[in-house]
Amino acid sequence: MRVLVLEDETKVGCFIQRALEEESYAVDLCEDGAKGLEMALATDYDLLVVDVMLPGMSGLDVLKNIRRERIQTPVLILSAQSQIDQRVKGLDAGADDYLTKPFAIDELLARVRALLRRGATESPGVLQVDDLMLNPATREVARGGQRIELTLKEYALLEYLMRHTGRVLTRPMISEHVWNQDFDTFTNVIDVYVNYLRNKIDRGRTKKLIHTIRGSGYMLKAD
Amino acid sequence: MPLRVRLTLWYGTVLALVLIVFSIMLYAITARNLRDTVDESLEDTATTAVRLLETNGFLPLIDEEVLLSQFPELTRIDKFFQIFSPSGTITIRSPNIKEHEVPLSRTALDAAFAGKSIYESAKYPKEPPLRLISMPIMYRGNLLYIVQVGTSMESVGETLHRFLILVLVAIPIALSVSLAGGWFLAGRALRPVDRITLAAQRIAAGDLSQRLSIPVAYDEIGRLAATFNNMIGRLDASFRQIRQFTSDASHELRTPLTVMKGETDLVLRKSRPLEDYKAVLESNLEEIDRMTRIVDELLFLSRADMGEVKVESMPVVLQSLVEDVHRQAKLLGQERNVEVVLGTITPVIVQGDDLRLRELLLNLVENAMKYSNPGGKVEISLLRDGQEARLSVTDHGIGIAPADQKKIFQRFFRTDVARAHTKKGTGLGLAICAWIADLHKGRVEVKSDLGQGSTFTVVLPLVTLPA
Repeated sequence: MRVLVLEDETKVGCFIQRALEEESYAVDLCEDGAKGLEMALATDYDLLVVDVMLPGMSGLDVLKNIRRERIQTPVLILSAQSQIDQRVKGLDAGADDYLTKPFAIDELLARVRALLRRGATESPGVLQVDDLMLNPATREVARGGQRIELTLKEYALLEYLMRHTGRVLTRPMISEHVWNQDFDTFTNVIDVYVNYLRNKIDRGRTKKLIHTIRGSGYMLKAD
Repeated sequence: MPLRVRLTLWYGTVLALVLIVFSIMLYAITARNLRDTVDESLEDTATTAVRLLETNGFLPLIDEEVLLSQFPELTRIDKFFQIFSPSGTITIRSPNIKEHEVPLSRTALDAAFAGKSIYESAKYPKEPPLRLISMPIMYRGNLLYIVQVGTSMESVGETLHRFLILVLVAIPIALSVSLAGGWFLAGRALRPVDRITLAAQRIAAGDLSQRLSIPVAYDEIGRLAATFNNMIGRLDASFRQIRQFTSDASHELRTPLTVMKGETDLVLRKSRPLEDYKAVLESNLEEIDRMTRIVDELLFLSRADMGEVKVESMPVVLQSLVEDVHRQAKLLGQERNVEVVLGTITPVIVQGDDLRLRELLLNLVENAMKYSNPGGKVEISLLRDGQEARLSVTDHGIGIAPADQKKIFQRFFRTDVARAHTKKGTGLGLAICAWIADLHKGRVEVKSDLGQGSTFTVVLPLVTLPA
C-alpha cells in the first residue's frame, strides 16, 4: 500500500511517514502543495494524507484538482482547524476522512486502515486466500492456522498481492504500490522479495499460492 | 408601559390641561366682557337720563307719567329705572319694574352722597340676576336725586350657559380625536423602532453579518439605523479579527503540540534504541522552546494592546545602539554563516525607550539573518533625512512578494516562502516591531523583491534638542 503524505511541517511529516512505514506502508512525503498535486497525478497512490495549510497550493485545492481528474484515491485531511465548518469544507471538497491535529498515532493508523479497506472492492477486515489469512489490523499472517512471521516489506508485498487476488501484477505495479519514490527500478528487489515470501508461505506445501507469470509479473491465487 | 401608550397619555394629558385652562380663561373673559358691555350700556342710559333731567331743570319729580310725558325717550329703553330721593325712598320708577321691589342699597346711597356712581348686582330667588347702576344728581354740592338704571342679566347668563355646554361637549370630543391621532402618530413613528429592535435581536443572537435596512428618509430613525449598522460593522470586523487571531494562535500552538504528541506517541509504541528516545526528547525541547516563544510574544502583544507595557521616553543615541546590536548580531551571524556589516552611520538622537528600540533593531537583524542564504550579508545603516531618522536593515535573502508586503506585519502571517525557508519564525516578530515603531510615532517601511532580498527601514522622528 503506497501512501502520499502532503505536510509542510517537516517534523510532523517525518513522524507520520515513520509511523506508516512501521506499518509496512510505502510512504512518499512532500512539503509543497503544487508539487504534491503533480505527484498524486503521476502515481497511482492507494491513499493520500493531506494537510490543509500548504505552501504552493492549499490542501483543499490539491484535493479538488485530484477529484476533477477523476482520481478516486481515498484522501485523509489533516488540519489544525477543528471547527465543524472547516471539517465540512474538507469533506465537501472530496475528502473521505478528517483528522484534527494533534492526533494519536493509533487513530491515524486506524483511519488509514479503514480508508484502505473502503478503497478495495470487496472489503472484509481479514483477507483470506485459500488457507492463507492476513489481518491488516494486527498485521498477523497465518497459513493453515500456523503463524508466519514476515518482515515489513514482505508483509507489504503480501498484502498487496492478497488485495488483488487472481490478477496479474506487473513489476511496475508492485513497485508503485509497495515501494516509495526512492525505489530504484533497475534492480531485481521485487523478485528477491517475492522469493522471500515464497520461502515463508509456499515452501513445503503442496498447494502453491504465488505464481510467476512469465514475461509479465506475479499473481496470487488459490488454484 | 409601552412607549406608545406613554406618549399618547402624556400628549392627551397635556392637551386636556391646555384645553381646560384655555376654556376657563375664555369663559372668564367672555363673562367679564359681557358684564362690561351691560355696564357700559347701563351707564349710557343713566347718563342720558341724568343729562335730560339736568337740561330740563330739576323739576320736582313727583309723577312718573308727567316725567314720561316730558321725556318720552325714557319709555323707549329696554331697562328699568328708578329715581330715589336722598333719603333713599323711591320717587319715580319706570312702569316695567312694577312687579319688583328694588330698594336702594346702603352702599349705593353712601356712594351717592360721595358723588360717585356705583354698579351693583342684585339677585332674587327664581329670577335672573339684575345689574344696576346708581348715579347721583348733584346740584351745588348737594345730592338732589339718585337715578338708578337696571337690566336683567338673563341673556348674559344664557350666553355663558351655552358657552359652558359647548365647552363641556367640545373638550371630550377634541380630546378623543386628538388621542386617536396621537396613538396613530406614535405608532407610525415607533414602527421603525420596532423593526430595528427585531433586527437588533437577530443580530444579538449572534448573526453579525445582518444589517438593518435603512429607511429611505434620512430622519432620526434613519440616522439611528445607520449609526447602528456602523456599530455592528465595527463589531463584526473586530470580532472577525479576534476570531482570526484566536484561530491563528491556536493553529500556531497546535503545530508544536502535534509534533510533540506524534513523536512521543510513535516512539512509545514499541521498545526502541536509546538514541530514538533521546532524539524525541531533543525535538520536544525545541518545540517547547517554540511554544514558549509564541506564548511570550503573544503575552507581550496582548499587554501592548491593553496598554500595560511600560515605555520610557529618554533621548536615545541611535548610533551607539546600532553599534551594540551590530556587535551582538555579528556573533549570531558567525553561527549561521551570515556576515553582518555596518553601512553609513550618521549620528542621530531620537526620543524613546532604549530597550524597546534595541529589541526592534535586533528583531529586524535576526529576521534578515534568518531569511538570508548561507554566506549572505546583512547591512545595518543609519541615516538622517530631514526631521527623520532612517534605520535600515538590508539582506539579500529570499525576499517578499509585493502582494505579501502589507500582510507581513499582521500577527502570525508568514509567507509560504518564509515557512518553507525556516520553521523557526513565529509570525509575531514584525507585528512587535511595528508596534514598537508606532509607539515612537514612527513606522516600519519595507522594500523587497522576491528572491533578491529585503530592506526594512525604521523611520523615527528626530528629537529637536534645545540649542
